[in-house]
Amino acid sequence: MDDDDIPVLIEHQEPPKQDEQARRVPLTIICGFLGAGKSTLLKRILTEQHGFRIAVIMNEFGDTADIEAKTINVASEGEESEEFLELANGCLCCSIKDTGIAAIEKLMQRKGAFDHILLETTGLADPGPIAALFWHNEEFASGLGRDISLDGVICVVDAVFGSQQMEEDHASDTVGESLRQIAGADIVLLNKIDLASPESVDVTAAQLRGVNPVAPIFRTVRAEIDVGKLLGVHAYTAAPATFFSPPHGHQQDTHDHDHDHDHSHPREPTHYELRGITSLLISVPVLSRQQLDAIDEWVRTVLWEQRLPGDAQQETPTVTILRCKGLFVLHSGAQHVLQGVRSMYEITEAGDALGVPDAGKLVLIGTGLNARVRESLRSVWAG
Amino acid sequence: MTTCQNAECPNGNPPSRLECPTCNKIGIRGSFFCGQECFKSGWKNHKILHNIVKLDPNGIGQDGTVNPWPNFKYTGALRPVYPLSARRTIPPHIPLPEYVEDGVPRAEMRVSGQAPRILNPEEIEKMRTVCRMSREILDLAAAAVRPGITTDEIDEIVHNATIERNAYPSPLNYREFPKSVCTSVNEVICHGIPDQRRLKEGDIINLDVSVYYQGFHGDVNGTYPVGQVDEESAKLIRTSRQCLDKSIEICKPGALFRDVGKVIEPIARSNGCATVRTYTGHGINNHFHCPPNVPHYAKNKAVGTMKAGMVFTIEPMINLGPSWDAVHWPDNWTATTVDGRRSAQFEETLLITETGVEILTAAP
Repeated sequence: MDDDDIPVLIEHQEPPKQDEQARRVPLTIICGFLGAGKSTLLKRILTEQHGFRIAVIMNEFGDTADIEAKTINVASEGEESEEFLELANGCLCCSIKDTGIAAIEKLMQRKGAFDHILLETTGLADPGPIAALFWHNEEFASGLGRDISLDGVICVVDAVFGSQQMEEDHASDTVGESLRQIAGADIVLLNKIDLASPESVDVTAAQLRGVNPVAPIFRTVRAEIDVGKLLGVHAYTAAPATFFSPPHGHQQDTHDHDHDHDHSHPREPTHYELRGITSLLISVPVLSRQQLDAIDEWVRTVLWEQRLPGDAQQETPTVTILRCKGLFVLHSGAQHVLQGVRSMYEITEAGDALGVPDAGKLVLIGTGLNARVRESLRSVWAG
Repeated sequence: MTTCQNAECPNGNPPSRLECPTCNKIGIRGSFFCGQECFKSGWKNHKILHNIVKLDPNGIGQDGTVNPWPNFKYTGALRPVYPLSARRTIPPHIPLPEYVEDGVPRAEMRVSGQAPRILNPEEIEKMRTVCRMSREILDLAAAAVRPGITTDEIDEIVHNATIERNAYPSPLNYREFPKSVCTSVNEVICHGIPDQRRLKEGDIINLDVSVYYQGFHGDVNGTYPVGQVDEESAKLIRTSRQCLDKSIEICKPGALFRDVGKVIEPIARSNGCATVRTYTGHGINNHFHCPPNVPHYAKNKAVGTMKAGMVFTIEPMINLGPSWDAVHWPDNWTATTVDGRRSAQFEETLLITETGVEILTAAP
C-alpha cells in the first residue's frame, strides 16, 4: 500500500467481552478396567451423537494427572479426524494452567469449539486427580465459548469380573484402583449384565452402592443406554439428583424395562466397608448461617489436613476423602451445594433450586470414615 | 483513550470510535480520529507511527536490532528487540540453585503436591537476609529507570549487584529463562525478557528481582513510571499497590489462602481493572516456587490455611480494562494482555508469624 494513500477510517470493534454466561464445552471422564466396555460406550456415544462435534482424548499415561496425549480424535458428522495438540515448549512457570488443557483449548481456538469432550483414561487410572485438574481449570474461564467445564465422571464396571476386581486388585496404598474409580464416579455403568447371573449382578450392584451411595447405577448390555442420561449431568455443580428423591417408595414403575436404575436408598446409618474404602451418607438438619460456616471449617480441616477437627496432626492421615457432595438448606430457605474432589472443594449457593428437599444431605467417600467421623460431623450442627 | 488523538484536531478532540485501519491491522491501539477530514489533516505525522512499528520485510531495524517474529500478532505496540546480550557469567565461588545446569527444577517439582513447609527459626533468619537483599537490589535497579536506558542494561545492573553480594540471580536459567531479572513494560503482564529496547518517556515498567543466597530464595517486584506517565497509568500503578497492601492485611495464622483474592479483585474492579488469573502467588523458601498456590482472584478453590512459619508471595497483576487473560509471545515467556492495554504488578515475600504477618521484602 502506498503510504501516501490515506485510508478510510473504520469503525472500532471492541474485542469480544469476557462474559461469565457464555456457553461452555462439557467434558466427561470415562474410566473403568480393561474390557469393561469403555470403548463400546465411546463408540455408542459417537454414533448416537451424530451431528455433534465430539472430541475423544485417550489419556495415555493414566497414573498421573498429566494429560500426555499428543493427538486427539475428533468425530463430527460421522467422520473422524486426528488433530495435533500443540503442547507449549517453554514453561508457563508460575502459571497454574495445565499445559495439556491449554493445548486442548488452543485447538478449539483454531478449529472451533467442540460440543462435548470425552476423556478416556487407561484401565488403572484414578479419575480423581484428573477431575480435580479440569475442575480447577474452570477458574480460568474466559467466557468466549471455548471454556471446558467438567460435566462428570462415568465408571464402567464389568458385571462378570467387577466384584472380583473390587476385592482383589492390588494397590500401592490401602485403596485399590477399581475402588478409587467407583468412588470418583458420578455415574456407574454396570455393563455386560447379559453375561452374568442376575443374582451375582445384584451382589455387585450392592457392593457398588456401598462404595458410592449417590451415583446412579445403570445396568447395561453392550453399554446400551440413553446418552441423555450420561451427558449434561452437571455433576460438579448441582447436588446429586438422588438427594431430591422422595423419602418414601421406589419409583420402579417409571423406569424403562430395559435399563434398571438403582436409586441409592439413604437409610441411616449408611456405612459400608470394602478394603479400606468407606462411604458415609448423613442427613443434615436445616442450618443457620453460622452452622454452615462451621461445616465449611469441618470440611476444610478434614480435606486439607486429613484429620478430624480437634485431633492432633498425625504422621499418617487418619481420614482421607476422595469425593464429597452435599446439599444444605438454611433457615432462610437458601440451598447451598458442596462439591469436593481430593483436597479441592467449594460450597456455593445453588442457583436454581432443583426441588424442595426438606433437609440437607452429605455424602463422603474415602478412607477412615468410621463412627467417630459421624459423631464429629453431628457435633457441628448439634452445637 | 477514545478521544480523537490528532494533536492538531480542528474539532477540539471529541470522543470517537473511528480508528485508523492500518494501526488496527498492525496492532497499534488507540489511534482514534474524529473524522476522515481530521484524519487527512493529521496524516503526515500519523503515518510515521506505522513506519516505526512496521520494520522492513526481514524485520531488521536501522540500528541492527531485529524483531525475531515480525509476523506474530502482537496485541500492543511493544516488540522484542533482539539480539539478546550474551549469557552473563557467575563467579565460581557462588553457590548455585539445583536447576542451573539444565533449567529443570527437579526438587521443586517433587514437592509440588505437598502441604506448605513450616520453616524453623534458623531458616526464617536466612529468609530475612535474602529478602532484604532482594529489596536492596530492586531499589538499585529502580533507581536506574529512565528514558533511554535499555532493559538489558537494567539486567546488567541487577546481575552485577547480585553477584557482588555473593548471591545468585534466581531467574537465570530457571526453566531456561535467559536473563537475571524480569522486565515487563506496558502491556506485558509478567516475565518480560530484558533486551535492546530503550525505555521511553511515558512507559511503565515492572522489575521482578529474585535472589538465591545461603540456600534460600527471595522474591520482590514493583512497577515504576518512566519519566512522566499519563494519569491512567499512574492510577493503575496505585491500584495494584493497593491490592497488594490490602491483601497483606488479612494474612495471619488461620487465614485462608483462598481469601486473598477476595480482597484483591473488588479493588481492581472498582478501579476499572481486571485481575490476572493464570499467574499466582507461591510458596518460597529453599525452592523458588512451591506450595501454596495463592490466587489473586475472588472465586477460587485454593487449598490451605496460613500457619506460623509459612513463607509465600502475593503478587497481583492488574490489567487496565475488563480483560484478565494473557497471550504469550513466541519466546514462551513474555505474557501480554490480549487487548494491548497496560498491566502493573507489585510483589512482597511474606512470613506468617505467631500473631500476624511480617513483610520480609519490605522497603526499609
